[in-house]
Amino acid sequence: MSIENIELIEKSLKSKKIQEFEIYFVEQEIYETEFLKNKIDAEREVKDIDYVIRILTQKGNETGIGIVKGNALNSKEIENNIDICLILSKENIGSKYHFPGISSISPIKTADQSILKDPIGFKKDISEEIREKIDGHKEVSPTFGRFRLHIQNKYLKNSTGLDLGASKTFFYIEMALKAQENGKLSAESWEIEYIKEKEHLNIERSVNKWAKIALDTLKAKIPKPSTQAIVIFPPNVLKNAINPVIGFHASGKAYHEKVSTLNVDAKIASDTFTLLDDGLLKGGLMSSSWDGEGNPHQMNEVIKNGIFKNRLYDQKFAIMGNTDSTGNGIRIDDGSVINSISNLEILPGDIAKEEMISNIKEGFFIEKCSWLNPDRFSGSFGTEIRNGYFIKNGHLEYPIKGGNISGNVLEMIKNCHYISKEREFSLNSLFPYIAFKNLSISS
Amino acid sequence: MIDKSDDEILLIFEEISNNFKRSNQYFDILYDSTSIVRITKSRSEETISVNAKKSGIVARTLLDSWHELAFQDESDLKNITKKLPKGTDKGDAIAEYDGWKINKEIKTKIDPSTIPMNEKIKKVRELFDYIKNYDKRIINPIVGYGEGLLTRIFVNNEGCQLRQVLPRIRLFIQPVAKEGSKIDFDYFSIGAEQGYELIDEVFNKNLDQIIQNSLDMLKAENPPSGKIPIILDADMAGLIAHESFGHGLEADQVLRDRSYLKEYLGKKVASDICVICDAPNIDGQYGSYFFDDEGIRAGKNILVKNGILKDFIHNRRTASVLNSVPKGNGRRESFAHPVFVRMTNTYFEPGDYKIEEMISEIKNGVMLIRGYFGMEDPLGGGMQCTSKKGYLIENGEKTKLLKSITLSGSVLELLQNIDAISDDELSLRPGTCGKGEEDFVPVTSGGSYVRVKSALISPG
Repeated sequence: MSIENIELIEKSLKSKKIQEFEIYFVEQEIYETEFLKNKIDAEREVKDIDYVIRILTQKGNETGIGIVKGNALNSKEIENNIDICLILSKENIGSKYHFPGISSISPIKTADQSILKDPIGFKKDISEEIREKIDGHKEVSPTFGRFRLHIQNKYLKNSTGLDLGASKTFFYIEMALKAQENGKLSAESWEIEYIKEKEHLNIERSVNKWAKIALDTLKAKIPKPSTQAIVIFPPNVLKNAINPVIGFHASGKAYHEKVSTLNVDAKIASDTFTLLDDGLLKGGLMSSSWDGEGNPHQMNEVIKNGIFKNRLYDQKFAIMGNTDSTGNGIRIDDGSVINSISNLEILPGDIAKEEMISNIKEGFFIEKCSWLNPDRFSGSFGTEIRNGYFIKNGHLEYPIKGGNISGNVLEMIKNCHYISKEREFSLNSLFPYIAFKNLSISS
Repeated sequence: MIDKSDDEILLIFEEISNNFKRSNQYFDILYDSTSIVRITKSRSEETISVNAKKSGIVARTLLDSWHELAFQDESDLKNITKKLPKGTDKGDAIAEYDGWKINKEIKTKIDPSTIPMNEKIKKVRELFDYIKNYDKRIINPIVGYGEGLLTRIFVNNEGCQLRQVLPRIRLFIQPVAKEGSKIDFDYFSIGAEQGYELIDEVFNKNLDQIIQNSLDMLKAENPPSGKIPIILDADMAGLIAHESFGHGLEADQVLRDRSYLKEYLGKKVASDICVICDAPNIDGQYGSYFFDDEGIRAGKNILVKNGILKDFIHNRRTASVLNSVPKGNGRRESFAHPVFVRMTNTYFEPGDYKIEEMISEIKNGVMLIRGYFGMEDPLGGGMQCTSKKGYLIENGEKTKLLKSITLSGSVLELLQNIDAISDDELSLRPGTCGKGEEDFVPVTSGGSYVRVKSALISPG
């Protein structure tokens, strides 16, 4: 069906004698269960398609790019969309651009065939498992939750002969568990996560962890203020700090806009800190053989032993910088391509998480922040602590909630005190636990 | 893509709806079509994209639980009667409302679709060039223009036959400034259910000030930490009303036993001078409409009056269970997203203080300007709201410009510590709101200046 539709669009483009074009076609199926307390409250099925046409108009040293997104598949509407796209490409002015050509692509599997065979059955089984495991925890109660299976088929065809296809399965899980004392005081663990692989959907382990966080938070105290605190960030919190700031400063776009503070071969982080961008990472949410423009995904060394090594380029900024794309063209909702990270990976350290805690005389372990949303230019952030622990003499002394943690991501990575051996996936990241020095806690 | 006229869609929907008797079950069906034009320009890129009338349909029914089908291909219409289950007992999970009819299109002064694309691009370029040439320290002017046209057609088995066409327009300006190694910015955002006239207003009135605000940020100092008196501008007041307080009032959280406000209905939650409202029926605002995605007529919900919690924010189901009247807060991002209880235009009503008076009465405090972002904590009642900037208040005067400030602590404590609200005209700022981390819908939030006797702040 999709191949026929792409051919229909291509035929129409060729009949209008469009020289440089690209068709990006996405079919999506979504199967979702929503929970109200411990009962299934809604079952949803969504079938959706989108296509994006990009047309280039070359103008000497500049290129105009037209972008039209639609889901109309009758000939008249397709032609209309192509006409609009052509006008946009004539009006738009940008730096020199051409579509990627055919190149060697590493084939990786991103769809689980067993799920594709019976998506509804799979969703039902996982939803039941979630309910069963939560029901097993009598001391906490679920307030609501969502489990969702995504199936995506993507196709990319362009006028240079590139003709690519890829299928992907991934999951979304959101769950809020509540612990209560005396029927009044209550605390919750509210977890939201995208997960790529079925094997990482460890429902039992996750539910146990969430239940413990909720129960511990019941006894939480406000953290005491500190201006030179050692703070351990787990992978799910760390990604919110690292990805928007380092991802931004490492991009070719930030370099060309003169807002990147990173210089190649400069020391920007602790010796123990090595960061990779890897679009082929097994288990990475963004993993795919090719990026949003059809360039091959690859592994890029961004920071090695504290030294900034390589910038990340999409096709546009690679051409501008007279270099090659690193597979960092990310297709966004409006159909355009932005220069951003694929999956980030921080290499593990040599200390176990428990040992890391036992080595800290006084510090904090953060489980979840309200929203760690740093300023991508400066790297500064300030966020409320939702769930965490105060560390005293090598032990988690008592749970904490409330108060603010503030710091600067660009400074933090220079102050890595410990990096754990253990790593976990969170969204498009595979990160260890890291203890940072010199953060500020206010309350 | 649904290749039918709006009238044809209404007729098809009615026909499908007739297969589901209200005496047996509740059923509704929604058509959603969106056209969007986006133009963004920065130092290194100019992007122009058109979303050409993306459309889809979502149908659902309630038995023991909701069953929902969403699709974009009209050949899937036949699956509605095949796949959605049939009931025999409507039960009492959802109240029955009288069906109603409406067919409304908002007409703008200058319809954006009548402005040629090259003129819109020219306008964005003019803004970009003006900002770029204003001062050498502006290293990257970012200008974003967006227009959208939303059509929603709703039919249910209670006799609703509804159609609305809503135009929305938005402009975002962020001049990034640099001096030495310091990079900072301020930003400006405007949006409404209005036409192209909104864009002209910006260019003519505000641009120099917008740029100067960014340049000033290069000299901004770090804010203090601790509990001190604060004044919130309308933006920040709106962020509190929406993010910290409003999300806890969404009645789906009450049904989930997940709202810290569940026990507070009819009780004091704020100081006597506070009136907080949510109203999707305000003319021309970014979060406004005639009916929600469950076919409920948009109304005004006075959430807090004289400091007393008067009502929660409802959809059909929560209003039924909690014996309230829905005001049109059941919203979807699109046909492909679920419907949830959502806010619309959420705000503090202005008070009777003069802002000068409010500042003059503070010896040591901080004014928080420009609501930047925030996160809800519906069960815990905690608060994280971050301003883009602020001012130190010393001996009754606004003094030094401050960098980003994060406000945290208990939202009820903050609301009860409000001791003055200014008499400035209600100011609402557009934005998008997620439920958790997804399902984004257009909203506004605002108010006027609000003073809090003591609140916890730290660098943002």
